[in-house]
Amino acid sequence: MKRINYKYMLISLDDMATASRRSFLGTIASGVVGLAVGAGLGWGLRSPETKEVTITRERTVTAGGGERTVVSTVTSTVPGPTVTKQVTAVKTLPKDTIKIGILGIRSGPWATYGTLIEQGATLAMEEINAAGGILGSKVSLVIRDEAADVVKQARELVEAEKVDFLVGVDSSGNAMKVGPLMSELNRILIVTHAATHRFTEELVYKQKTKQLFRVSVPVYQDGILSAYVAKDLPVKKWAGINPDYEYGRVSWQFFRETLSKLRSDVEFVSEQFNKSPGTTDFSPFLSAALGADAEGIFSVNWALEAVTMHRQMKSLGVYDQVGAVINPMGYSMDVVYELGHEYPTAMHGTWVSGRYVWFYPKTPINERFVENFRKRWGRYPAYSSETTYTALYMLKAALETTGSLDLDALVQAMEDMVILSPAGARWIRPEDHQAIYDVPYGKITHSGGEIPLLTDLVTRSGWEYYRSPPF
Amino acid sequence: MLELLGHQLLTGLFRSSYYWLIASGLTLIFGVTRVVNFAHAAFFVLGGYIALTVDILTGNFWLSVATSTIAVGLLGMAVERGLVKPLYRVESLYQLLITFAVTLIINDASKLIWGAASRSMKIPAELALPVKIAGRSYPLFFFFIIATAVAVFILLYIVLEKTFWGLKVKSTWRDVSMAQALRINTGRIYTTTFFIGSLLAGFGGACMVAFTPVAPGLGDSLIITAFIIVVIAGLGNLIGAYVSSILIGVAESLFLLYLPELDILLIFVIMAVVLLVRPWGLFGEK
Repeated sequence: MKRINYKYMLISLDDMATASRRSFLGTIASGVVGLAVGAGLGWGLRSPETKEVTITRERTVTAGGGERTVVSTVTSTVPGPTVTKQVTAVKTLPKDTIKIGILGIRSGPWATYGTLIEQGATLAMEEINAAGGILGSKVSLVIRDEAADVVKQARELVEAEKVDFLVGVDSSGNAMKVGPLMSELNRILIVTHAATHRFTEELVYKQKTKQLFRVSVPVYQDGILSAYVAKDLPVKKWAGINPDYEYGRVSWQFFRETLSKLRSDVEFVSEQFNKSPGTTDFSPFLSAALGADAEGIFSVNWALEAVTMHRQMKSLGVYDQVGAVINPMGYSMDVVYELGHEYPTAMHGTWVSGRYVWFYPKTPINERFVENFRKRWGRYPAYSSETTYTALYMLKAALETTGSLDLDALVQAMEDMVILSPAGARWIRPEDHQAIYDVPYGKITHSGGEIPLLTDLVTRSGWEYYRSPPF
Repeated sequence: MLELLGHQLLTGLFRSSYYWLIASGLTLIFGVTRVVNFAHAAFFVLGGYIALTVDILTGNFWLSVATSTIAVGLLGMAVERGLVKPLYRVESLYQLLITFAVTLIINDASKLIWGAASRSMKIPAELALPVKIAGRSYPLFFFFIIATAVAVFILLYIVLEKTFWGLKVKSTWRDVSMAQALRINTGRIYTTTFFIGSLLAGFGGACMVAFTPVAPGLGDSLIITAFIIVVIAGLGNLIGAYVSSILIGVAESLFLLYLPELDILLIFVIMAVVLLVRPWGLFGEK
């Protein structure tokens, strides 16, 4: 099944170089249809409950030193007519339990992000185990706090807990610390939140650390796609208020560079960097931005600081004075739930995004994910929950392809992989191990319901705005 | 140009008042008991949590401030009685450690009770009224905080300088054994000081939560700024702490306008210079 998907994707890639955007999108669309057909059986994401299929598997299991043949009957529900077929499968994993180490921030002001990662991982684990595990092996999770010395935690996970894979990492700084360690620990790490482009561009592409992958969007989303949003807004003078570390500085730099290229009449009138975490009072920053006659504010502040900033912008009347606000991580669920129906809106919109937006794309896989997530956790899924969920299924797919824990084989299986996930089709670019997929921006709109929605979606193909090798 | 400067000074003054609401209790407790209360900012954030809970339940901002002030004050007193008191005789390092432990307990307890995500509340309607100044609008809340900070300063000054109790506090601060010889119940002075200091933290936290959302562990970043302010002033010096709050708050705000690149560095540079030139602080005694 995989081969079919792969071929479709290759066709679209070849076309991309020459074809117009319309035909390119058409090819992608046809590719996606092909993928969708392939996905039902071949890929781990469970399909809608339509018909029941009984598959009798004859497996060769190596256990306790001797080889024996086990015949097991697996009943699963897949779309299509009921068929019963004999499958001779020889693949099994050498371990009964695949242990996955999860790294997320679990203490301090960003602690909620560890929970979001954990929720996605737990849901995927429960689903996979309920459906028979990975080639018969169960999945188990070991969760650690990356805020408590990420290098130590990663080492302990591998050396003491004996995990087979590492998944997660919220902070860009931590991703850059733990990334180089992976070649020594010889484990695959799939990053599901940290966004610095240096992780994939430098560690993977330049330094060839093959163990590293990322399923979430890098700062291309925060800094580059946001400029495409800004170029169509009636705003010429932009002010930046960004967290003073890697993520904030890089996003602002990308935003400026891209917007200057897209439009020549924009000015960047004020440039502020706030301490992060720990900025509790934005009033001097806002006052300075207004003092520079800013018409729009660009900020990648997130989590607690995003909530603080939006509230204080409202209190200080900034929302009445500027035309538009862009806050790339503003549709993260913690911010959306906390601000709720008081999420302020500027005249030309408060434009926000995430690493995944729960209602996009409208596919059965996504709808099912959102429904299951809500059933399990009572809330709409946050982006890092989706990315972590997908990372686990990606590992499942890779293990099912290789049938072993051999690192090189797994890396090979994951490079160039196309996985249909709640966030849409993701392609793992072989050069930098970065997942390419589309996440929209939208305008905060209050229309009743549990949380504000996004309208006027700005969607662009990842192919268009991702930076691409050579970096 | 002048207007711009004025706006920046005003936001600086607001920020100073916010700093002072944290630093006042911290320096009071240190001045009298010589305990570096690491948990002080955690008390401040806890005050915010209690206030927003009461606000959700009753919808009354003033009641929530009052409840939180008293609750945190009592908690501070309990911590002093139960945990800090047995450690007065040993090295001050142990007092720092125990208050650090209290910080961790409060951080994780608030995560259990209020969740890991940030929590916020709206500025109450009566304080949300916009005040127009030179083309910008500020909520009345802004001036309420600035006025509150001044009031806290005056009140503390009167209590310490103009009352008999203040005299006893000061004598305890000067020389504990001499104060005890004069039959001053220094144990009670310590406890009361802790109560008042924590009271201030609860009060400040409750007032500020309407403007600044809270999250578990937020205090850890607030305490550093508060410590620096207190150190610059001279540990335990109340008037100095107010002046240095204003100095730092206004300087930060102005630097943001003119030299934003140096803003985060600023407070540390001031501290380093003060410690090199006057290690006992700007207002401290040698």
